[in-house]
Amino acid sequence: MLHTRSLTKRFGAHSAVDAVDLEIRPGTLHAIIGPNGAGKTTLFNLLSGELQPSAGTIVFGDRDVTRLDATSRSQLGMGRSFQRTNVFPKLTAFENVRLAAQSRTGDSFALWRRAASLDGANARAESVLAEFGLLDSRARLAGELAGGDQRLLELAITLATDPVLLLLDEPSQGLSPQDAQRLIDRIGTLSARYTIVLIEHNMPLVMRLAGEITVMNFGRVLARGTPDAIRANADVRAAYLGKHVSP
Amino acid sequence: MRRFAILVVLVAVAPLVLRYPELETQILTFGLLAVAFNLLLGEMGFLSFGQATFNGVGAYIAARALLDAHAPLPIALLGALLAGGAAAALVGALAITGRGVYGVMLTFAFNEMAYFIAFQWRSVTGGDDGLRGIPRPDVFGISLDDATRYYYFTALVVLLAFAAVLRIVDSPFGAVLRAIRENEGRARAIGFRVRRFKIAAFALSGALSGLAGGLYAELFHFVPLQAIDLDTSTNIVIAALLGGIGSPYGALLGAAIFTVLSNSLSHVWAHWPLIFGLVFCAVVLFFRTGLWGITERWSRRAAHA
Repeated sequence: MLHTRSLTKRFGAHSAVDAVDLEIRPGTLHAIIGPNGAGKTTLFNLLSGELQPSAGTIVFGDRDVTRLDATSRSQLGMGRSFQRTNVFPKLTAFENVRLAAQSRTGDSFALWRRAASLDGANARAESVLAEFGLLDSRARLAGELAGGDQRLLELAITLATDPVLLLLDEPSQGLSPQDAQRLIDRIGTLSARYTIVLIEHNMPLVMRLAGEITVMNFGRVLARGTPDAIRANADVRAAYLGKHVSP
Repeated sequence: MRRFAILVVLVAVAPLVLRYPELETQILTFGLLAVAFNLLLGEMGFLSFGQATFNGVGAYIAARALLDAHAPLPIALLGALLAGGAAAALVGALAITGRGVYGVMLTFAFNEMAYFIAFQWRSVTGGDDGLRGIPRPDVFGISLDDATRYYYFTALVVLLAFAAVLRIVDSPFGAVLRAIRENEGRARAIGFRVRRFKIAAFALSGALSGLAGGLYAELFHFVPLQAIDLDTSTNIVIAALLGGIGSPYGALLGAAIFTVLSNSLSHVWAHWPLIFGLVFCAVVLFFRTGLWGITERWSRRAAHA
C-alpha cells in the first residue's frame, strides 16, 4: 500500500532520514520505533507531505506521491495525526470533526448553503464522535477539552477524512495511564479496518498491537520484522530495546 | 434573524430621528467597508491593512462608468463590485505569500502603490483634486436626487450585502475560513487547499469594499483621493476593532460610532483623534471583544436575570 525507496532527508550535512526503504502492506499495523532523534517524526513528515525529501521516492497504492503536498496526499486517503495535539482550539469538538468530513464533500466553496445543512458531513461527524465517545463533549470548544479527550479528538479529526491509510505519530504521548489505555483500545479496534503506520514509544503497546515493526536508529533502518523477531534481535537490544522490554 | 430584523428597523427609522441623511449614508458605506474587512480578520484571521485599495478602485470605476459611459447606476455599482473583487484577488494572492506580519505589510505596501498610481494618473482619478461632478442617475425611473432617497437606496444595497455576509459566515466556506484562522497547518493536513480559500475570501472582501466605494462616489458626487489612502485603511481597522471582530454586527456598530464621533467631534475640537485614540486603546486593552462583545454580554446577563 505504501513503499518508499531510498527515502532521504538531509538538513545541511546531517541526514535525518537516510536511504529508508519501507514496505507497508495493506491491512497491517506497522510500528516504527527507535530512540529519540532516530528520525521517526521526520520520516512521518516525509510520508505525509509536510516535508519534501532530498532524495528517494514514495509510492502510495500505485501512485508516485513524492512531489505531492500534504493536502493532495490527504485527499488521496493518507490521514495523519500529530504528535502534539493539533486541533482547531476555538471551534467546538463537533465543528472540528465536521470540517474534516466536509473536506471530502466538494461543498466547501458553496457560499449559499448552510454548513449545518450538509447532511453527509454532519452525519459522518456524529458517527465518528460517537465512536470515540466524545458525543457528550460535542458542543465544547476543542481547546477546553481535557488532554485525553483532545488526543481522541485529534484521532477523530483524522478519521473523519475517511482515509485508507492512517499515519499516527505517538498518539499516546503525554497521556495518563488510563487515557493511554483508552487510546490503545481505540487503535486496536481501528487496526481491524485500516492500514496503520504508528510511531510509538510505549513498548508494551507496540508489542501488543503491531504486526510488523521497523526499528530506526540514526536515520537508518536498523531492523525490521515481527514483534518476536525484533525482541530477539541483538542489534536492536543493544541500540534501544534492552532497557524497555524484559525478555 | 431577530438581530437582522432589528437592524433593518434601525436603518429604516434612522433618517426620521437623525436628520442628516448624508451622514447616515456614510455610516452605511463605511460600515460595509468594516464588515468586508472583518470577513478577513474576524473569520479568516488575516489582518488586511490595505482595504482602502479596493474601496478606491470601486469608487473610481463607478465614477468613470457614470461620467464617461453614462452607465445606469446598478451597472456602475456592479462594475465597482467586480473591480474591487478582482483587485483584492490579485493583492490577496500576493499578500498571502508573506507569513504573519509580512502578509500584513504587503497589503499595506500595495495600498501605498495604489495610492501613488491614483495620485499620478490624473486623467482617470483627478489626482489630488479628486473626481468631481459624478452624476447620480435615476434607478428604474426613480429619482435619487434627494439625499434621503439616496440614503434608502444605499440602505437597500448595504443590507443585501450584509445579509450575504451573514449567509457566507454560516456557509461551509465560512467554516473553512475559521479553520484556517484557528490552525492553518491542520486545515491543510485534512485536505483543504488553503491558498484558494484565502484568495476567494480576499475577492469577496474586495468586492464588498468596491461596492462601498461605488456607493460613496455618488453620495457627494465626488471621489476624493482619500478614498484610496492609508488613513482610510487605518480607520477601517480601528472601526472594526472598536466594534468587535467576533461578529459582522460588531464591525457595523464600530463603523457607526466611528463615523458619528469623527463627524461631531471634529466640529468641537480639532484634536478629536486624541480622545478617540484613548477610547480605542481602552477597548483594545480591556474589552478584546469590542463594543459588540460588551453588548452581547449584557444581553446574556439580562436574559439570565
